Amino acid sequence: MKGIWWKLIGLLLVLFSLIFGMIGPVQRLPILNETIRVLYYHVPMWFSMVALMLTSLIYSLKALNKSDLAKDLYAFEAARTGFFLASIGLVTGMVWARFTWGAFWVNDPKLNGTAVTMLIYLAYFVLRNSVEDPFKRIRLAGVYNIFAFVMMIVFIGILPRLTDSLHPGNGGNPGFNKYDLNSDMRPIFYSAVVGWILIGLWITNLRVRYKNLKERHEQV
Amino acid sequence: MIGQIYQIVKLNFRLEWQERQSYFSILIYILSSVYLSYLVFNQSINAETWNAFFWVIFIFSAVQAAYRSFHFEADQRFLLYYGMVKPENLVLGKIIYNFLYLFATGLFTALVFTFLMGNEIHSLAAFLFILLLASLGFSTILTFVAGISAKASNNPALPAILSIPLLYPQLISLSRVSLRSLTGFSWEVNAPLLIVLALLSLVSLLLSYLLFPYLWRD
Repeated sequence: MKGIWWKLIGLLLVLFSLIFGMIGPVQRLPILNETIRVLYYHVPMWFSMVALMLTSLIYSLKALNKSDLAKDLYAFEAARTGFFLASIGLVTGMVWARFTWGAFWVNDPKLNGTAVTMLIYLAYFVLRNSVEDPFKRIRLAGVYNIFAFVMMIVFIGILPRLTDSLHPGNGGNPGFNKYDLNSDMRPIFYSAVVGWILIGLWITNLRVRYKNLKERHEQV
Repeated sequence: MIGQIYQIVKLNFRLEWQERQSYFSILIYILSSVYLSYLVFNQSINAETWNAFFWVIFIFSAVQAAYRSFHFEADQRFLLYYGMVKPENLVLGKIIYNFLYLFATGLFTALVFTFLMGNEIHSLAAFLFILLLASLGFSTILTFVAGISAKASNNPALPAILSIPLLYPQLISLSRVSLRSLTGFSWEVNAPLLIVLALLSLVSLLLSYLLFPYLWRD
């Protein structure tokens, strides 16, 4: 994506969701109470993580197809940004869990899914860094990235559906979904999702440009 | 195609048999880790701990057993294969070989477990079927990862780092369904989980089959 418009849109959407997430009106639900606001700060991280991992997958496929080094770098940086957003999602979720479930970490299918996803992508980073030859790296890291994405989808998309989760909206817990439809919360939530995806892509772009400049600097 | 795959499986068995110590080292690996858990648990074992320890030991011995899949090919034989064997056939042959190998490893682990820790298996047929599914799923992922790490470098931790996270989805379902085979098994109740496991193996088999040629060309 060229130009500055999408960066501005992303920035404005995130600012809007950050500010109105705090001051906007919300539902009063038992146990959840005001912590329902975490919807604006926690859930968008997962949406944008999946979006960035998908970007990474697409760039890996392109890199594999054409043996294109630039595409491979983009795939790597997109996965890194996705990992970073997942870490934020994990931390915000842990803070929320402490006040609603009483512990930072519980044995819940969604938490396991996240932990495994992060481990898989850590393995991808280790693999990519342990190969010296750049063209070999495209192939090895690329095929592993495809495997990683499929397993992530299995783990966060399929396995949790087979069991109950403690998460709101699962297994009879009061859900966000029902209350999203509430017209107060919906626009803020969706603008946070779109905004964070755009910001994630922007971070990736900046990282790729930084890496390229650094490489050129080292060559000089 | 089938003839070629069969030849690869046979060749693997013959080569591994020439270096029998790799088979024996896996057997000793299993024996010593099971004995370790026997000593640590001091006979206070129940179905849940039996199950947990069995799968942990099986997954580690499977990683140990399978990461050697491309050990022999590391030098000249790679070159021979480039000209003679289609990469799809090669990976299928290796997967079949590893499947048989891992299933035997799993049977041996179960045998040692029963001997040392007491027989906790309630429904033997179900347990064997689960072990079969596990070997199938593990062999597809482990063969593929062995291919990656054979090409990557000689970082000894790489096979374990790369394969264990990819095996989690299977392992979580496997340990849940196998615990039921230890305590009392109903095929109807567990059918969905077994189907999920079979589909997971199928997906990873398909991915290995499709992606291996990319890994292969140099």
